[in-house]
Amino acid sequence: MSLSVFITPALIILLLIYCAKKKINCYGTFAEGAKGAIQLCLDVLPFLVAIFVAIQLFKISGLASITADLLAPVMNLVGIPKELTELMIIRPFSGSGSIVIAEQIFSDFGADSYIARCASVIMGSSETIFYVATIYFSQTKAKRLLYAIPVALVATIASSIVACQICKIM
Amino acid sequence: MRKIWFFMVLASLCTLLFTNPEGSINAMMNAGADAVTLTIKLLGIYAVWLGIIALVDACGVSEKIASLLDPVIDWLFGKTDKDTKKYIALNMSANILGMGNACTPTGLKAMAGLDKQNNSTTASTAMIMLVVINATSIQLIPTTIIGLRQQYGSIASSDIILPTIISTLVSTILGVLLVKLCSKLSKRRKKE
Repeated sequence: MSLSVFITPALIILLLIYCAKKKINCYGTFAEGAKGAIQLCLDVLPFLVAIFVAIQLFKISGLASITADLLAPVMNLVGIPKELTELMIIRPFSGSGSIVIAEQIFSDFGADSYIARCASVIMGSSETIFYVATIYFSQTKAKRLLYAIPVALVATIASSIVACQICKIM
Repeated sequence: MRKIWFFMVLASLCTLLFTNPEGSINAMMNAGADAVTLTIKLLGIYAVWLGIIALVDACGVSEKIASLLDPVIDWLFGKTDKDTKKYIALNMSANILGMGNACTPTGLKAMAGLDKQNNSTTASTAMIMLVVINATSIQLIPTTIIGLRQQYGSIASSDIILPTIISTLVSTILGVLLVKLCSKLSKRRKKE
């Protein structure tokens, strides 16, 4: 059990007490805020469908593993074990997809192996970049995203390289 | 994004045409259904968080957080209006506290606010900054992964916490600096 388990509920309790002190109608305000979620999800859904279709096709066509094989030598060069290539390719696209790959790594190599620890750190320190970019930009008129995705990818790859080095010493 | 999507779908479909033509349509339908399932799940999560955020807003705490983070937000995002600043502040605090599910609704609201000021089809630097910060998540305690390791019989499942913190800091700091650098470069190019 970690401290983080307590943070959120404790903050909400404090919030409720503070609101009560200020005589705010908590029930009505909460419901009014929750209403906003409907529009939000309606905005996001079409983009999610599009990105899910692309990922699913990419995976079952076998192109994902072919790309992983092609990239493996490059990954090795920067110190990332080749077993992690597929994880790194799927991670920016799909959270649940990358968890499946991480589970496979855990069961193949053992959860305490170097490879598995690298995989854990990579999973914990990265995000589903394309998913984040897609739903965030779904709220805007912007069509040209300029360097948003390249920058996020470069930063994530750099941190993965760092992750594999740290796991060697820690 | 447009190009990546187009080529991913095109290349995958071409491959599938030869290897598994029936599978391709099935996969697309399943993906669509998965997206709907996820959205419905998210609807519930967002609704709860937006409800809580409405309370944070109503009692004036969000303004206090915003003024606390004011210098950081000014440096990262430049000039923004008060409402947007509030949502950015909430988004960043949710990020730091590791409340992953609270990040998205606040981030989306902030994004809509930034869009109003930008009013163009080209993303503004502030928008890119917000997306990059959220795409390189500052996650302090990776609970899901720790749980997963335990399931697979790890004896020291939480020994990845420190490496994860270091690694996530590297990605976020590098991301922020790269956005700053790129926006300077593109401004210079415009002037010339």
